[in-house]
Amino acid sequence: MNQPEKADPVETMLREQNQYVNDEGFTARVMAGLPRRRSRAWVRPAVLLGAAAIGSVLAARWLAWGNLPPLDLSALVSLDFQALTPTPDLTSALMPWMTMLAVAASIVWAAVAAVQWDD
Amino acid sequence: MTDADLIARVLAREDQNAFAELVRRYQSPVRAFLARMTRGDTHLADDLAQETFVKAWRKLHTYRGGARFSTWLFGIAVNEFRTVARQRKELALEEVGEVAPEENRPAADSRSQLRLDLTEALKRLHSGERAAVVLCCQNGLTHEEAAQVLDCPLGTVKTNVLRGKEKLKRWLFGYQDYEPA
Repeated sequence: MNQPEKADPVETMLREQNQYVNDEGFTARVMAGLPRRRSRAWVRPAVLLGAAAIGSVLAARWLAWGNLPPLDLSALVSLDFQALTPTPDLTSALMPWMTMLAVAASIVWAAVAAVQWDD
Repeated sequence: MTDADLIARVLAREDQNAFAELVRRYQSPVRAFLARMTRGDTHLADDLAQETFVKAWRKLHTYRGGARFSTWLFGIAVNEFRTVARQRKELALEEVGEVAPEENRPAADSRSQLRLDLTEALKRLHSGERAAVVLCCQNGLTHEEAAQVLDCPLGTVKTNVLRGKEKLKRWLFGYQDYEPA
């Protein structure tokens, strides 16, 4: 028959010497120092996403999406910027595309920030 | 009222009385743990404990209830300690060193002497061993819970508990026949 296992004296000592720490005003100090809790943690990411959505709608409304200059993708791949668009001015040809890219990037950034939000 | 009830009240209506009850319940183990980790600097331990509860208040919505509330709190306390230990050299000091058993042989008849010797012996442990021993042997956390709190592999916790206890046994040689009160 197995002998009952003797308790580890070190563990027994540690458990017995684990004394209760009297509060002595600690809880009151903690409560006095509490900041306002952000209980509605979803509000800020929601505002961020909402702002991105409104920005996108405004961009879609005011930018001349229908008049985007055609892009010759094969020219883009071959880095032949002169042949890229029929418009001679490269800046005015690429600006609408750059703006669209910026809006898309903002939406993606806002979505990622909203998902990863942690205050 | 259970911890879960109190937490629900805090989350639903920012009930400060409910949170105060949680602080009252857990202030002792958290402060005692941090006092051990800071090698007896009770002022620093209390500052860290206060910051632990303030963080718990702010981040309570992230507590999922999968672990015990005390385990979650100890996790915050460990992070607070580590942040300060990175800035303070004396806390970052690891194991103070072995002590010859002859030097450390106590008068085994006195319980208050035992308390002093145990406190001193714990201070000498490597901080990883001290944390693992205090969490598992003094606060009753399982090895899995301690691994979660310390954010380290389970095997590391088991090794640290074993090594820590071996060292304590060696250093507290005079209490080898210790019987519970």
